[in-house]
Amino acid sequence: MIGGSSAAKGSIDADRRSFGRWALAPSLIVLLLVAGLPTLYLLATSLTPYQFVNPGSSTDFSAPLRNYRLLPGDPRFVNSLWVQAKLSFWGVLFQVLLGMLLALLLNVNSRFVEFARTFFLIPMVLPPIVVAVIWKLIYTPDISPLYYAASLLNFTMPSLTSSVDFALTAIIIADTWEWLPFTFLMVLAALQTIPDEYSEAALVDGANALQIFFYVTLPFITPILVISGMFRLIDSVKAFPLIFLLTGGGPGSVTEVTNYYAYLLAFDFNEIGYSSAVTVVLLLLVLAVSLGVIWMGRRREAMV
Amino acid sequence: MLVVLLSPFLWLLQMSFKTNDLILQFPPPLFFAPTLEHYRALLSSAFSASFLNSLLSASFSTAFALLLGVPAAYALSKWKGGSRHALGFAILATRMAPPIAFTIPFFLFYRWIGLLDTVTGLVLVYTSFNLPLVIWMMQPFFETLPPSLEEAALVDGARTRTVFLLIVLPMVAPGIAATAILCFLYAWNDFFFALILTRTNARTAPVAVVNFMNYEGWEWGKIAAGGSLVMAPVLVFSLAVRRYLVSGLTAGAVKG
Amino acid sequence: MTGRKSTHNFSRRRLLQAGAATLGAAAFPMPAIAQTKPFAGVTLNGASFQHRFFTLLQNYIPEFEQQTGMKVNLQLSAFPVYNQQANLELSSGGSAFDFVNVTFILAARWVAAGLLTNLDEFTSDPNLTPAEWNPKDFVEGAQVPYRDAKGGTYGYSWEGGAMVMGLSRMDLMEKKGLKIPKTFAELQQVCAEINGTEGVNGMVSFQLHHWNLPPYMQGFGGNVFRNPPSDIMPALNTTQAIQAVEYYANLLKNYAPRGVITYTEDQARQAVLTGRANIFIHSSAWVTPILLSEESKVKDTSRVVRMPAGPVADRPASNSQGLGIPKNAKNKKAAWEFIKWAVSPEISMRLVKEHGHSSICRRSIIESEAYRKLNTVNGQDLGALYLEVLELPAKGDNYMAYRTVKEFPIVGDVINKSFEQVVTGQATAAAAMNAAQEQAIANLRRAGTNL
Repeated sequence: MIGGSSAAKGSIDADRRSFGRWALAPSLIVLLLVAGLPTLYLLATSLTPYQFVNPGSSTDFSAPLRNYRLLPGDPRFVNSLWVQAKLSFWGVLFQVLLGMLLALLLNVNSRFVEFARTFFLIPMVLPPIVVAVIWKLIYTPDISPLYYAASLLNFTMPSLTSSVDFALTAIIIADTWEWLPFTFLMVLAALQTIPDEYSEAALVDGANALQIFFYVTLPFITPILVISGMFRLIDSVKAFPLIFLLTGGGPGSVTEVTNYYAYLLAFDFNEIGYSSAVTVVLLLLVLAVSLGVIWMGRRREAMV
Repeated sequence: MLVVLLSPFLWLLQMSFKTNDLILQFPPPLFFAPTLEHYRALLSSAFSASFLNSLLSASFSTAFALLLGVPAAYALSKWKGGSRHALGFAILATRMAPPIAFTIPFFLFYRWIGLLDTVTGLVLVYTSFNLPLVIWMMQPFFETLPPSLEEAALVDGARTRTVFLLIVLPMVAPGIAATAILCFLYAWNDFFFALILTRTNARTAPVAVVNFMNYEGWEWGKIAAGGSLVMAPVLVFSLAVRRYLVSGLTAGAVKG
Repeated sequence: MTGRKSTHNFSRRRLLQAGAATLGAAAFPMPAIAQTKPFAGVTLNGASFQHRFFTLLQNYIPEFEQQTGMKVNLQLSAFPVYNQQANLELSSGGSAFDFVNVTFILAARWVAAGLLTNLDEFTSDPNLTPAEWNPKDFVEGAQVPYRDAKGGTYGYSWEGGAMVMGLSRMDLMEKKGLKIPKTFAELQQVCAEINGTEGVNGMVSFQLHHWNLPPYMQGFGGNVFRNPPSDIMPALNTTQAIQAVEYYANLLKNYAPRGVITYTEDQARQAVLTGRANIFIHSSAWVTPILLSEESKVKDTSRVVRMPAGPVADRPASNSQGLGIPKNAKNKKAAWEFIKWAVSPEISMRLVKEHGHSSICRRSIIESEAYRKLNTVNGQDLGALYLEVLELPAKGDNYMAYRTVKEFPIVGDVINKSFEQVVTGQATAAAAMNAAQEQAIANLRRAGTNL
């Protein structure tokens, strides 16, 4: 019987492995083709001065590092990195803080609140271009209720999206509105795993609400705050529809993030080679942050 | 508070029901006789075709992504190897990259093959980018299954394939449903790929909304109505699957 | 007698034959007609951005399809979307379109990069183009962007943009005893005086600074390039250029509505149509609505005149939109047939008469009675004004040559960004333009131009 079952087990394993190979292979092939090939193409193109209108430039590898050498000297590129940094920093900060606040306020066990909570998701699931349209409506002086309200209060509000000082802020506001639900959901989930005994014990010890928050709640949710912040950081690099519709990168280059600059280079100026180099740099940065997320997630798993 | 937070979204909705001169009126009236003229205009124009394109490309890509990804996720969940993490990371990385990284090669390739401005082309792109999502989302579901049921069936002589189809799949059905909806959402909401890879035949709804921003004046009413229509399916579906949204968006890196 | 009879018979036979043929044709009309339709079975693909011209043309396209037997598939998209898609398609050598709209922003690039078909081969062939079609009938200023260095023509214009000045509040000006400004200095004065009166802005403009600024640059004696089209070294940091930037930025900073640098043309037009702004300097198609449009609230208080002249030169800009055939188009003959028809004298006249669309580019039509009648309002002959500005580049120095430089979009973009910095106070004119000059040179070099 023992000999029989181990032989049987051997064939089960073999069958399992073969199933596994068949199940995995198509996906791997697709991923390799779809993600691998274009990435190689991107890398290769970033080594050429490829422009559509210059025939032969797509295979011109004579000066492979030309694009990369031009990058630091390109004020628009450097500026785009700064803009991206500002957008990501402030955006993530507000999203995390406000999301946390919202979660704390709405961490109530009532049917009504739970029902209402689902509506908070709306900004996050809307198509990003619709979010851009919504905010375009709000930021266009002629038809915006915001400007009307300002004029009622005898307060002349400058057109936010064409103001140097406020254009980026306007984008940050729209971006925060769109992604608040994300951090809100994550923090809420974490809050609901905090055992009640902790805060009850603290209350018994005479702590007030603020102290409970700082010494009980915060330590619990800090990892979640960090992780949701990092996810938003990575995603913030993809910001496109908002900038495309609201400011076009302007006024000047005040809202031109690296992703948008690469888009302009490729599709308006048709400088494919240079745009690829910009994209490669962006990808490397994103990769670095992603690695950080994985590492932190791994650490947290190890701790729990 | 909900109203305050959602007010921009509500503003779009109410604008889609205003007539054109009311829209441009300053001060903007809050109470007015609603009109369906923008919606009617949209339905009889090319917009309905773009809506259909969105529907087709999102549905088919979701189906294909599931077809390829669910078995792969199952296989991965059984795999004990160390390179599993590397693969996982590679999958995550494809979701993290901005679309611009892939558009030029796709554009050139599609042009060469003739897939530009076709729904098929879009389906291919969306499938490829939802595949990692499917694998990533379904893995935890498979991992949390008690292995005893499968083991029992296998010992009884069933092939892995049968076990997978008849025993495992039904148990993770809710996960599949949630993943399907998320894939649909991502494909439906896409703007960048549709912008670059389509012209007028395969234009999807999000790009069509932008098309109302004419040289000679933005048609605000139509834009508002179009925007409202584009987000309708999304709202319906996501409200149905809200529990899984967080894990879908964090690609499962956090057990939430 | 036999001879005569045979002649009779001969002619009767002929008659019978003719009769049989006609009967036969009448009995089977389709094949006979199909034989005379030269393009039966051809589907023509064309694209443009949404514009009234095409919406109007679409009314007539069924007739064209009837005549030629081809099916016309005209795809219209939003302006930025169309330009980007067409540019991508053409510069990557695509053949999805048989005819395209050659937008003025991209005309020079497409012509210089050889992305369009030379249309002279069609116009010089009398079998393809009858003499009455007369390529020389097109106004010079409108055709300049479609010519290459050797004088070949790559597009035919369907809309001309002649830069003129519209004043919507002559009532306010008369109240203050102001005359229509004829120089830059007077322009500034008038703007200053009107601005703020009854909530009216002195002037309004819009976001395409690389279109609005060069006339001032040239008015002060400068230019975008040193000596286009041969010497394309940018000339953005000359004293004259800086002067022009200071001047125009000053106008926008102090006398224009807030947010004006991101205004679209439509927003600017709205501002003058409602009388909220007084002066608007732009193509006649955008300015004349203050006199001609039903929406205009300022019909009785408007004037449209030449824009003011600079201290050194008088250089109102002109541009045009045209139709062209991509280099790799599949149905070039059919495409030419369509273009020929769309900008023919007949269609142009019909557009004027039946729809009041007056920015067409054929001199014969513009100088016609019908046109004059429709476009003379309140004693102002808009047609003559339009023609005057459009023909200016042909009389002597072709000052619009900067537009025909294929690198102009690159430099234009730098101008846009730098100008916005000056208006928003981020930089002085001198600093911004010096930086712009460096940036433009760097960008041109990176794009492979030898400077």
